[in-house]
Amino acid sequence: MHILKFGKDYTRRQFMNKSAQAGLSLGMLTSLWPEIARSADISKVYPEELLSIEAYTKGKIKTGDMIDANNVDVVKDLLDDIAYKQVKDMGRKIRIVKTTTDVTRMFPHDYLEATLRNAGKAKLDSTGNVVIDGGDPWIGGNPFPDAKDGLQAFANITLSWGRHDQTLYAVKDWDISPSGSVSYQYDFAWCEQNTIGLLNNPDGPYWQGKKDRNRYQSVWFTSPNDVRGTSFLNEWYYDQTQFPDLFGYLPAFKRERRFPTNQRFEPLVPGVTIFLSDAWAAGDPMLTWGNYKVIETKPHLGAVSENWAGDDPNWEKPAHGGPGDQTFWLSNMELCPEVLVVECEPTGYPRAPVGKKRVYIDTRNMMFVAYLTYDRRGEMWKSFEPAFSLYETPNTKVMDGDHVHWSWGHFTCHDIQSNRMSRALKAKKITGGYESGFNQGDGIHDQFLTIQAIRRLGA
Amino acid sequence: MQNFSYRLSRAVMSNRKLSVLVIALITAFFAWGCRNVELKTIFSDLLPADHPFVETFKDHPNFGNPLTVTIMVKRTDGDIYNVETLNKIWDLTRDVDLAPAVDHDQVISISTEKVRYAEATPFGIDTQPVMGDAPPSGPEDVEEFRRRVDKAPLARRFYISEDGTATIITATFIERLLDYGETFEYLQGLVENARDEHHEVHMAGMPALTGWVYRYQQQMLGIFALTGIALLACLILYMRNFAGVITPITTSLIAAIWGFGFVGWLGLAIEPLIMVVPLLLVARSFSHCVQFTERYYEIYLHVGDKRKAAEIALSVMMAPSMLGIFTDAAGLLLIALAPIPAMERFALFCGFWAAMLVPANVFLSPLILSFLPAPKNVRKITGMDGDHGFHAALKRFLGHIAKVTYGRAARVTTVVFLIITGVSVYEFLQMKIGNPVEGSNILWEDGEFNTAVAAINRNFPGVNTLEIVLEAKDPINPSRVARQAETIQTMSRIQYALEHMENPPEATLSFSDYLPEANRLFAGGNPKWAPLDPTNEATLAAVGAVLFGTSPKAFLHVTDFEQQNTTVSLWYKNNKQETVDLALDQARRAVELVGADHPEFRVRLATGTIALQQSINDTVAQYEYVILGALNIVILVGCSIAYRSIVAGFFLLIPVNLANLYLGAAMVEMGIGLDVNTLPIAAIGIGVGIDYGIYLLSRICEEYQATKHYDTAIRAAIMTTGKAILFTASIVAIGILPWYFLSDLKFLADMGLLLVMVMTINMVLSIVVVPLLVWLAKPYFVTRDDLLVGESVDLSQYTEGRAMEEAEMKTMAAAQ
Repeated sequence: MHILKFGKDYTRRQFMNKSAQAGLSLGMLTSLWPEIARSADISKVYPEELLSIEAYTKGKIKTGDMIDANNVDVVKDLLDDIAYKQVKDMGRKIRIVKTTTDVTRMFPHDYLEATLRNAGKAKLDSTGNVVIDGGDPWIGGNPFPDAKDGLQAFANITLSWGRHDQTLYAVKDWDISPSGSVSYQYDFAWCEQNTIGLLNNPDGPYWQGKKDRNRYQSVWFTSPNDVRGTSFLNEWYYDQTQFPDLFGYLPAFKRERRFPTNQRFEPLVPGVTIFLSDAWAAGDPMLTWGNYKVIETKPHLGAVSENWAGDDPNWEKPAHGGPGDQTFWLSNMELCPEVLVVECEPTGYPRAPVGKKRVYIDTRNMMFVAYLTYDRRGEMWKSFEPAFSLYETPNTKVMDGDHVHWSWGHFTCHDIQSNRMSRALKAKKITGGYESGFNQGDGIHDQFLTIQAIRRLGA
Repeated sequence: MQNFSYRLSRAVMSNRKLSVLVIALITAFFAWGCRNVELKTIFSDLLPADHPFVETFKDHPNFGNPLTVTIMVKRTDGDIYNVETLNKIWDLTRDVDLAPAVDHDQVISISTEKVRYAEATPFGIDTQPVMGDAPPSGPEDVEEFRRRVDKAPLARRFYISEDGTATIITATFIERLLDYGETFEYLQGLVENARDEHHEVHMAGMPALTGWVYRYQQQMLGIFALTGIALLACLILYMRNFAGVITPITTSLIAAIWGFGFVGWLGLAIEPLIMVVPLLLVARSFSHCVQFTERYYEIYLHVGDKRKAAEIALSVMMAPSMLGIFTDAAGLLLIALAPIPAMERFALFCGFWAAMLVPANVFLSPLILSFLPAPKNVRKITGMDGDHGFHAALKRFLGHIAKVTYGRAARVTTVVFLIITGVSVYEFLQMKIGNPVEGSNILWEDGEFNTAVAAINRNFPGVNTLEIVLEAKDPINPSRVARQAETIQTMSRIQYALEHMENPPEATLSFSDYLPEANRLFAGGNPKWAPLDPTNEATLAAVGAVLFGTSPKAFLHVTDFEQQNTTVSLWYKNNKQETVDLALDQARRAVELVGADHPEFRVRLATGTIALQQSINDTVAQYEYVILGALNIVILVGCSIAYRSIVAGFFLLIPVNLANLYLGAAMVEMGIGLDVNTLPIAAIGIGVGIDYGIYLLSRICEEYQATKHYDTAIRAAIMTTGKAILFTASIVAIGILPWYFLSDLKFLADMGLLLVMVMTINMVLSIVVVPLLVWLAKPYFVTRDDLLVGESVDLSQYTEGRAMEEAEMKTMAAAQ
């Protein structure tokens, strides 16, 4: 007989106490970040029932089990409301994998190094922007690995989305109708270049001295033919109270269009349920939203490991569930011992159809594992759920220098009100020959991230 | 049959406790089902299932989406270009976006980001909402807003009235989530709050209409309560004894439990509007019970034993009662022939309820009467106390009426009825099918909803659309049919043809209307670039420009989400029948011009409010006579068997069909058209009205056996059974008439008035025309003494039997 040192009631009481406290303290048996800095292992930070799904569910669910409608009630408190409904009513399945205790497996190596190296150097200035001593922008990694409030937690997600200096994601997207059929299918490339907090830049943390910018980001469609070459360019200011500049380009007219800067609650192309505002759960400058608050800390199921389909030649994977058996990806989820549940409101968007968003942030790497939006009546609207992974399987791996690459593998965005689903995966290669990659260096800017570049991409 | 009914009556009354137990158990079963009863409107169930327009609607529910609410804000002392009005519109729009079940992507007004203007600038095409991120706060903001509106032609056409004094907010709702009552109360609250001395605010659209019906449900329940009290008062005044009052109430209540429990178990929703008919059934239940009770009292007076009297009454009344109930139920059940799901449910619910009056009323009444104390006023009720009082006065009055049905007066009466019938036939031929009003015939013309419809129609293209759908032959065509040149060109040609016809639609709109402006702007802004080249490449480019950074939901009113199907919307000034006819004729001619069949798509007629209204009218016109014909056949067969004479069957059908004819004439005079709301009235009228004829004809036959003279038989029948008919028809009329005077629902008022009229006409015709026909034709069946529905019984055999039983008992007691 195995006697648990700390029962489930103990952890529940601990989480209730933490939620009731004014300031956050991450970790339970000991503080989280000092232990990660010391050993990169969280085994001593949380009791066993938060590190093992079997212990948490008293043996009802084990690693390797499949969660479906028959047993989802056992883990209902570990899922957000939409994920629960998807499993309970819509045929979704989730595979349970082992909880990651080695935190180095949850970061790009350089990003974790920078986070540890720069720990304690970030602060919020009077406007709410992240600065270091002297008022300069952030210098790399998570600025607040032991975030004390919701805004600090959001800064960790917002300042560097993909956690690399440059990334190019070759994305395949399927948009599923309420009847379960595919309404639209797109191939598109998504490119990010950070201009601050750089990790591999020989000239330091800022790109070409552009301290007033946060990032450049573009997206261009390569398939089907009727949207090929349609592209968008986002230019983010470092000041998070400023709206990004947004340009679009239509190849048929060879003309770009300037969008209203606050038009961030519309899809880029017909059929997808994702808005610009939804990207990385932090698609808008963080100070254009407000009333950040941590409403809860709790354990949660999150797809944070083993979600790369590297054994498929193009990293593709089958879908399942829903009326046409093709609505959901099969995510591998693990018991995340502690997530921050942060809510905020679109205070800078007087016409926003969204009333608030609720983001579940894994305290181990400060990356979101689930994200819900609510309409202005407070009713659930959309769920955005990512799946992250080290890029390795028993048969293959993608290297990032001397270490295995870490990134996202797939995501879903489910509009629960109209019951339309967009699901996308990061492919090795998409129509047009674009391949996923990272840390490409300076050249990526002129190639993909200027107005001239997006014109050229549409030619 | 008499033997069977006698044996059955004896079996029931000999096992009274068992009989009551069985009925109690059945009642408990149905009472448990009542917990599932749900009163709600299911919009799609109000439409005929097999009509081509309804099929088009079901295939393309978003085109001319009936789940859209339109709110109009009108400045009464100027135009909308001022800070106060624009702020009001901003606030109202934001509040509408909070409405329950609203589709956030389909809330549109001049303050939402979906109403945009675009201009070409050196930095590219700049597209911005006509109203900024906040409502205008000063004159400069207002002027800027006006400048932007000038650059947004579609906004000017559809969202701001021509004179600039009014603007509209449209919101579409998700049917799966929609609770009409909740959403309507929320929106109506907003509308009422937004009204002030400078602003009129009106709300129209199907959810608003249904919301009004839901709101009036409370009032409807109040009126029904009043009806119940009126029925009770009549009963108490007429019977003036405990048993005579309690019995009809109990039996009617049990029948109601069975009726509601039945639909509860089947999980069928009840349309709130048709709740008037169940109330009629309660009145019918009262009426059957009163007929039975009166007969019971007559018999009780002779036999002096409650159980025996109940058994005899059951035996003699079983056949005529069952025949009467059979016709009621047949009239209601045959309404299901009209393939409208809500009508089918209605027919099942009410038909079952009516049929259940046999066990719950015919069989339960004698059981209850046999248990309850014998009334003390039996002699008075049966007229045995002498020729005085109300009952006697009524008899004398009917005696005078009877005189017009036989002898020389009969000829005059015949001529009068022939003239009335001739005039009615002429009037009946003028009967209009469909909606003769602007707005909805369910509500009063000067009510808030219809006023709103009229106001919106005056200021905007209106709320009534006809949709011509261009439907992809391959629903997953990779080229997306709505984006193809031929599709766009065909829509433009349809619009051009319609706009150049005599009395063209108020406005037309299709996806093709959005393309030229996008083409012009993205091509540099010069108006010469507005027209599209008729090529797929040019069309696709313009479509791309329109949908760039926008959800297809913003265009769901003109193309579906997948952009395979698309529609041409035509707005017409109102939905009066002549407008509907014109609209459909124009649409057919336009489709003929462009051809219905194309390689990638077909052109389908039609959906939208105008087409759906016509689908109902077509169905009503088609099935009105099918239902009445079937009902005539069923009744003819039933009555012919019961009277063992096909002539008797025809005798009974003549007055009820005359009643229907007169009712039609009266409707024409009152300006009421034949529609889905009035469809059940004729069937109910015939089903219910024939009861009177059956009771009276049976009595004439019975009286003839006693006197062998037609005139005395007719006179006696009118003075006895005619009196019961007069009372039961009056009780129904008194119960229903308040609906006409008290209801804010015109539908309820119309139903009330029509039901009173049809019952009254039937009563008069059964009391006058049935005897008149008997006098004129002197049919053979009247002389027969073996009719199934004869009410005659020789009570002396029961009284003799009682004397013999008493003598036997005494002998046995002496022997013991």
